[in-house]
Amino acid sequence: MKVGLAQISPHLGDVEKNFDLHLQYIKKAKKKKIDLLIFPELSLTGYTLKDLVEEVALSAEGNPYFDQLKAASHELCLVFGFVEEKERGLFYNSAAFLSRGKILHIHRKVFLPTHGMFEEGKFFAQGRNFHTFSTPYGKTGMMICRDFLHYGASYLLFASGSEIIIVISAAPGRGVSNNENYETSRMWELMGEAISRFSTAFLIYCNRVGFEDGKHFAGGSFIYNPMGELVAKASYLDQGLLIREIDLNDIREARKKWVYKRDDRPEIILESLRRIVREDED
Amino acid sequence: MTGPKLSLNLSEGLLEKMKINAPFVEKVLAAFIKEELSKFNYKRGIIGLSGGLDSTVCAFLAAKALGARNVIGLILPYGKAFSDDVKDAQEVARLLRIKSKVIDISPIVDAYFSRYPTENRISKGNKMARERMAILYDFSVREKALILGTSNKTELLLGYGTIHGDMACAINPLGDLFKTQIKQLAKHLGVPEKIQKKVPTAGLWPGQTDEKEIGLSYNEVDRILFELVDKRMSRKEIIASGLKAEAVDKILQLIKNSEFKRKLPPIPKISARTVGHDFLFPYDWGK
Repeated sequence: MKVGLAQISPHLGDVEKNFDLHLQYIKKAKKKKIDLLIFPELSLTGYTLKDLVEEVALSAEGNPYFDQLKAASHELCLVFGFVEEKERGLFYNSAAFLSRGKILHIHRKVFLPTHGMFEEGKFFAQGRNFHTFSTPYGKTGMMICRDFLHYGASYLLFASGSEIIIVISAAPGRGVSNNENYETSRMWELMGEAISRFSTAFLIYCNRVGFEDGKHFAGGSFIYNPMGELVAKASYLDQGLLIREIDLNDIREARKKWVYKRDDRPEIILESLRRIVREDED
Repeated sequence: MTGPKLSLNLSEGLLEKMKINAPFVEKVLAAFIKEELSKFNYKRGIIGLSGGLDSTVCAFLAAKALGARNVIGLILPYGKAFSDDVKDAQEVARLLRIKSKVIDISPIVDAYFSRYPTENRISKGNKMARERMAILYDFSVREKALILGTSNKTELLLGYGTIHGDMACAINPLGDLFKTQIKQLAKHLGVPEKIQKKVPTAGLWPGQTDEKEIGLSYNEVDRILFELVDKRMSRKEIIASGLKAEAVDKILQLIKNSEFKRKLPPIPKISARTVGHDFLFPYDWGK
């Protein structure tokens, strides 16, 4: 299976331009015979939207952009980010998985960072679920950026059987030091390594690049295989299409050797969580 | 504004922690300059060159990002007051092969002060900074070039700059680097040694130095700022870590008293939607 990570720099608040940018990458991906092409978080709109959220929002149904992207998904699976108006006046930071002309799943970002430089909770409604869904390449789960830093979210995808975990991101780099790059780049890679290894699943992370209002999105998109080995990593600064062939048989190999999935006990976790939530009440 | 020298026991460890990966920072800042200009459909950048460290570093980065022929350095001395600095600034322009121009601001400034004389040298310095700003903005239009600011993080936090003067710019590439970090970047960029070793000055009057005026060395100031701002340590924790209360309080006071220089002026909110309150659009709107 050939995966493509479109590490782009979207135009802020301009869906038309971003849609064209998506078509350009889809065209390139088709030429390269890519099976799954992934774009970053809010790839159709840009990230620092603030009050532009309502202007760039789309409904996944009966929308010309979506219809064209669905049509494009006959030849390859597509993942991208957009502002979704799910119900009138309710706006979500969403990720869509399209395949063979259909929407297989829409994930709505659950953990909306709202602190320091982040203000997503001011402008977006909160998603409520993490789902594993079937795709032509196996059971898949999606997260958006901060979702991935709450490791309970990864556990839910693991427990529900995800073999491929896709994270789309618009992560600004922060913390320069004497190290190779930002402190936060290491943070994403650490999580990628840990979650792929202990979920015995592919972990595909697609971040964006470019600047918005001085925030520098720090690229570094990557793929870890189910053994927790880094198999692809993009530049921290530059746009581009990262292409990597992955072997889905690796999932089977990893799970034969490391039996975390076989031995998982979601019912114990659930009971413990119920107790914790109960006891935590005021 | 001259204060007593407050001596501090500096641990070298912290300055070590403040070290940056200069090649990485260079790439990020050059990418920033290039991208910001293209967002606003500019090819060229213009910088007020003082012959000091910050504007030199900014010029080096701009030349890297935009190409030397797309960078203009304006050298804006007050008469003959800083003739060595003028020579240094011209030397930077020659070295980088950027276009430069010297404009003496003394006739403009003197015309004003002959009518409204003052002995307040800070007032005079502020007026000069604002005349430089006015000329930079005029040349920004003449040359179709965006103004690159040269305020660093230390100055921004202390409010050590003239509001609507040297703080005015279109983009501020060095605004998240402490002075000590800029020194490190300067070394990496190959800034002439003479400029690297210069004693920092706002150039408000001859013989003025930042450190004399603040009463602390830049290493001391940056250490306190780094712990307060980057590390989010409290006043108590910083003093407990071995820094003098007097120095920490002085820095805290400077930060608090200069918040107005880092913000747009407040607007009384009376309507349903108000500029600066809940009319919230990104700076890069549609770029």
